[in-house]
Amino acid sequence: MSLQSLLREKRVLVLCGAGGVGKTTTAAALGVAAARAGRKVLVLTIDPARRLAEAMGLTEGGTEPTPIPPERLYAGTEVGPGRLDVWMLEPRIVFERMVRRLSPTPEAARDILDNRLYRFLSDLVAGMQEYAAAEALDGFLEEGHYELVVLDTPPSRHALDFLEAPGRLARFLDDRIVSLFLPEEKGRGGRLWRKTSQLLGSVLGSIFGESFTQEMRAFMGAFSGLFSGIRERAERLRGRLSAEDAAFLLVTSPESASLQEVGYFRDMLHERRLPFAGYVLNRSWAREDGLAHPEALLRHAEDEAQRGGVEALIHLARHEQVRADAHRGLLSLLAENLPTGAVAVAAPESGSELEDFGGLVRLGEALATS
Amino acid sequence: MLDALWERRALLVSGKGGVGKTTFAAALARAAVASGRRVLLAEVEVSPEDSESPSPLASLVGVRSPSARVSEVSPGLSYVRLSAIEGQRLFLQEVLPVRLMADAALRTRALRRFLEAAPALREMGVLFQMLALVRRTRPDGGPLYPLTVLDLPATGHALALAALPDALLSVMPGGPIGRSVREGLELLRNPTLTGALLVTLPEPLPVSETLELATAIGRHRIPLAAGVLNRLPEKPFPPEGRAAVERLLGTHGPHQGQRALARLDRAQAAEVRLASNLPAPLLTLPELPEHGRELVERLATHLTGAPS
Ligand SMILES: Nc1ncnc2c1ncn2[C@@H]1O[C@H](COP(=O)(O)OP(=O)(O)OP(=O)(O)O)[C@@H](O)[C@H]1O
Ligand SMILES: Nc1ncnc2c1ncn2[C@@H]1O[C@H](COP(=O)(O)OP(=O)(O)OP(=O)(O)O)[C@@H](O)[C@H]1O
Ligand SMILES: [Mg+2]
Ligand SMILES: [Mg+2]
Repeated sequence: MSLQSLLREKRVLVLCGAGGVGKTTTAAALGVAAARAGRKVLVLTIDPARRLAEAMGLTEGGTEPTPIPPERLYAGTEVGPGRLDVWMLEPRIVFERMVRRLSPTPEAARDILDNRLYRFLSDLVAGMQEYAAAEALDGFLEEGHYELVVLDTPPSRHALDFLEAPGRLARFLDDRIVSLFLPEEKGRGGRLWRKTSQLLGSVLGSIFGESFTQEMRAFMGAFSGLFSGIRERAERLRGRLSAEDAAFLLVTSPESASLQEVGYFRDMLHERRLPFAGYVLNRSWAREDGLAHPEALLRHAEDEAQRGGVEALIHLARHEQVRADAHRGLLSLLAENLPTGAVAVAAPESGSELEDFGGLVRLGEALATS
Repeated sequence: MLDALWERRALLVSGKGGVGKTTFAAALARAAVASGRRVLLAEVEVSPEDSESPSPLASLVGVRSPSARVSEVSPGLSYVRLSAIEGQRLFLQEVLPVRLMADAALRTRALRRFLEAAPALREMGVLFQMLALVRRTRPDGGPLYPLTVLDLPATGHALALAALPDALLSVMPGGPIGRSVREGLELLRNPTLTGALLVTLPEPLPVSETLELATAIGRHRIPLAAGVLNRLPEKPFPPEGRAAVERLLGTHGPHQGQRALARLDRAQAAEVRLASNLPAPLLTLPELPEHGRELVERLATHLTGAPS
């Protein structure tokens, strides 16, 4: 299988990878390529670099996905049937929507949203972006408006943090556990339950102080009505991500491509029965550029400065060669023992090209055809 | 300049993903040991679920099984992987009236899940373990680890860590958490005790992001000790050579070496921009052919040999 057929056939493409390797850029470029190939695509980006947001014409704080005008999407070719929307994930908006949807009444929703603990929780970026991304993905898939959702994942040290966060939440939201944190009257259960609840009460009281603990329990009480909804969605999302039509790609840069970590990622996906679809080696010099060697310039050099300059360029060309060879070696290592259907592709270093939309188009094409 | 760094209690190494934080943290710790300091080299666990995950830092200093217990690597150098659960345990032991209660509490599945699900509490645990280690003393009353070098996770999370104390204080100004957060802030915000080192690469975007990061940590009042421009390519051009080559390439079209040339130009522009805009001194480290431990050794030598 090629990356092209992934773009044509899958419904969800998740881009994972260590911080700064190019997940967001790759997500955008692949979204562009898939849309130009005729599909209705949504790219869910997280915190895109400013110039990428500008290249795509995104505005911050948008509550709806931004459609890329077809003239821009198809610049240089005839306008086709594919469409591309891009949405910059806004955890606040996602949560607010979730609370409104899952609350029994608008008043109940407001109680939660106005609570200062709620604001404290949604303000903390760590972890929350992960929950929000999962939640947003689920929402868009449920809606069924898009044929392909390309999901960027938050910058994290660990490629799979994104997958762990919802699970952590869901495990915590186990009714038996949550009930222990609820205000007394809402609780139930027998002697063991009461003993545990008491222990927790005194532990929390000593950690947080009595009044904060009361406040937290009250908040949990208000929030608890939503838990079964949240849990259901976490499970549904899990199902969707492990389905045949989902695919996980690991983005890596030649610099940070530690094969050990790359293998670890694959094992982790396997363990969780998530569909591993391959690697993108981003910013690589693996591709031959077919240029002449700078030795050829020596005979044109007329003075000391030019000769010195050409010598230096020859030196650089040698370094470039070493680097390009290393990248090729890396790519073929990544391509070894791939499961059927998985790919190992190289994305070129695009330099300053990514400043406009055309750069994304070219990057997408380079990926799809590599 | 390094001597001034060694006088602090905690050096926080931060930056975007893949820029060389871990390599630099290891080299910095080695350099400090070479200058006669006792150093604790620390990193933050990835997540409590997979204590098994590989640790590049541990393997760079030759620790086979990284854990939340400090282990001595070589004379003067110790290593620890900070863990949220360990920090939370220490915290509970400190605030609960009975020590046994802390253990009982942590054996409760409900509390464990609560502690791992709430993001703030995880980071809090990490912070607390670090504080506890910094506070440890020797029998003679001096600090057990006079200098801690902390390899922080990539920027997004590092900023969340920096923002955490204020966020926590805003909802719980009092109580034991408030108290230990305040104590943590006293350490973190004191420029004679703490300094952040921001590692970056000589490329336009990483430099922009580093300047933004410097502003952001300034907002949290964490003192910036230095910028670290890593992987600076060597400069092969004699004076006038660069311009001369440009003219030749203009006449005769592109040749191999083009990509390396563009990279070199970007690197030089990046260095100038960073040096003139960062409100702190700048350390530069060369791009070297080595990997892993050899790379760390060479960078450490470069650091100690560099004019101060
Ligand atoms: N193929 C490429 N050629 C040139 N520059 C690139 C390429 N891919 C990414 N970049 C640049 O590298 C930087 C990081 O890329 P990007 O934001 O996509 O990474 P990320 O993995 O999403 O980062 P984070 O973990 O912070 O979310 C950006 O400035 C981007 O423009
Ligand atoms: N000065 C250097 N010269 C050559 N290679 C280097 C240099 N510094 C770092 N590297 C290489 O860059 C890669 C990334 O380095 P490192 O793991 O230290 O980065 P990091 O910032 O800690 O990454 P992460 O964000 O994933 O934790 C490694 O392969 C390392 O060997
Ligand atoms: Mg990103
Ligand atoms: Mg690292």
